[in-house]
Amino acid sequence: MSLAAIPELAPALLDLPFREGYVRSIVFVSLYVSVTAVALSTLFSVPVAVAIGFADFPGKGFVKSVVNTGMGFPSVVVGLIVLFAVSNQGPLGSLDLVFTREAMIMSQFVLATPPITAITLAAVSGVDEGVRDAARALGGTRLDAALVVLKEARYGIATAILAGFGRAVSEVGSVLIVGGNITSADGISKTRTLTTAIQLEARQGQYETAMILGAVLVALVLTVNAVVVHFGDSGVTR
Amino acid sequence: MLRATDVSQSFGGERVFDDLSVEVDAGEVLGVIGPSGVGKTTLLRTLALSLEPDAGTVALGGTEAWTAEESERLALRRRVGMVFQEASLFDASVGRNVEYGLRVRSPWSDRIAAALGLAETPDAVRESLDVVGLTDKADQHADSLSGGEAQRVSFARALAYDPDVLLLDEPTSDLDPRNTAVIEEAIGEARSRGIGVVVATHDMHQAERVADRVAVLLDDGITEVGPTEAIFEDPDDERTRKFISGELVY
Repeated sequence: MSLAAIPELAPALLDLPFREGYVRSIVFVSLYVSVTAVALSTLFSVPVAVAIGFADFPGKGFVKSVVNTGMGFPSVVVGLIVLFAVSNQGPLGSLDLVFTREAMIMSQFVLATPPITAITLAAVSGVDEGVRDAARALGGTRLDAALVVLKEARYGIATAILAGFGRAVSEVGSVLIVGGNITSADGISKTRTLTTAIQLEARQGQYETAMILGAVLVALVLTVNAVVVHFGDSGVTR
Repeated sequence: MLRATDVSQSFGGERVFDDLSVEVDAGEVLGVIGPSGVGKTTLLRTLALSLEPDAGTVALGGTEAWTAEESERLALRRRVGMVFQEASLFDASVGRNVEYGLRVRSPWSDRIAAALGLAETPDAVRESLDVVGLTDKADQHADSLSGGEAQRVSFARALAYDPDVLLLDEPTSDLDPRNTAVIEEAIGEARSRGIGVVVATHDMHQAERVADRVAVLLDDGITEVGPTEAIFEDPDDERTRKFISGELVY
């Protein structure tokens, strides 16, 4: 294609078949739900993984197996369970969370927790025991030793968080069930995410729109990965 | 200063040693010699208050560690330094490694400032690196060091917070003669600072070079403790004599 063709294509590229703010609101909802769910999951999963990694107790292998199995848990089943939990008949029915972003966060929290826990546990378990011994021998408390291990395992933990984010942001089934893929009358997303929008646009034959939304999703994941890798590298000599 | 009295240790029902007693005073180097597998590392970990003995007592400066409150035991543990056979340096710069023992003794505000690079490097870091001849490596990453240099940093790391007692577990077993000489000189420096040093080694020549007293640990416990010269020249115990002469082979 010659450079001369670009001006001809440019209006077509700029003239996207979106209502104003549509894509922006979808990206916002996707990021809001996924980042919140992964942040909460990280706060929960990392201490749990460190506790399991440090402790010796009967059934530790079984616990690890359960965590690993959770990585393959079907997302639609998670969606169904969360939908039941927040429905009028469910234990959280009084909170009126059906088809809300909060319910989507709950669902993605459940999905992101097993990979974050399992990969963090593997990373923590892989840290040389001599490092932990050295931290204790140099006067560190158990907390100090845990912090040293976390620092040594930081690349693995970053991978775990990325895996959790990847699972959350690319999830379709459960967010569709608990979120309902809703937009307001002016076309602004309430619970529509990039994935559910792609699914809807493709089903309606809007392949161009679906492809553009797909490209936005990929760009989003790449950006998050790049940011995490950048901060991981900059902390090496600390 | 640091005294273990009638201590016993076992792992998974396997006895390591029974009723073992040993002590080291300020400014003294005690060599613990014996073949591999007799429990030298376990003895040092017991002295470092990392392992609670099945029986017996471990006291530092007259304070019994395992009947003390946990906070008091932590305070006692922080008066002891330990260097392992493997350097096990942290994934950080040499300076950060040496600084670690000082930082964990600091208030959290200082530690956070140090982590953010806002705190001055303590003088003790440079002084300790000077003892092992690695002042110029302070800003290098620990991964860039040779095995011998890493072990020297490991020594400096334990020396930096000025412990009362320094425990060295086979500190030169993997080192070349030059790095071994640096570590042995550093042991002499620690002694001159009034630090009690315990060196576990299977290298009897090293024990002869650096130790004021020697304890011989064989598979049935400590057979003999005494001045280095007496142990090597005229041991009282027959098994000690055989071990030193090489007749008792493991």
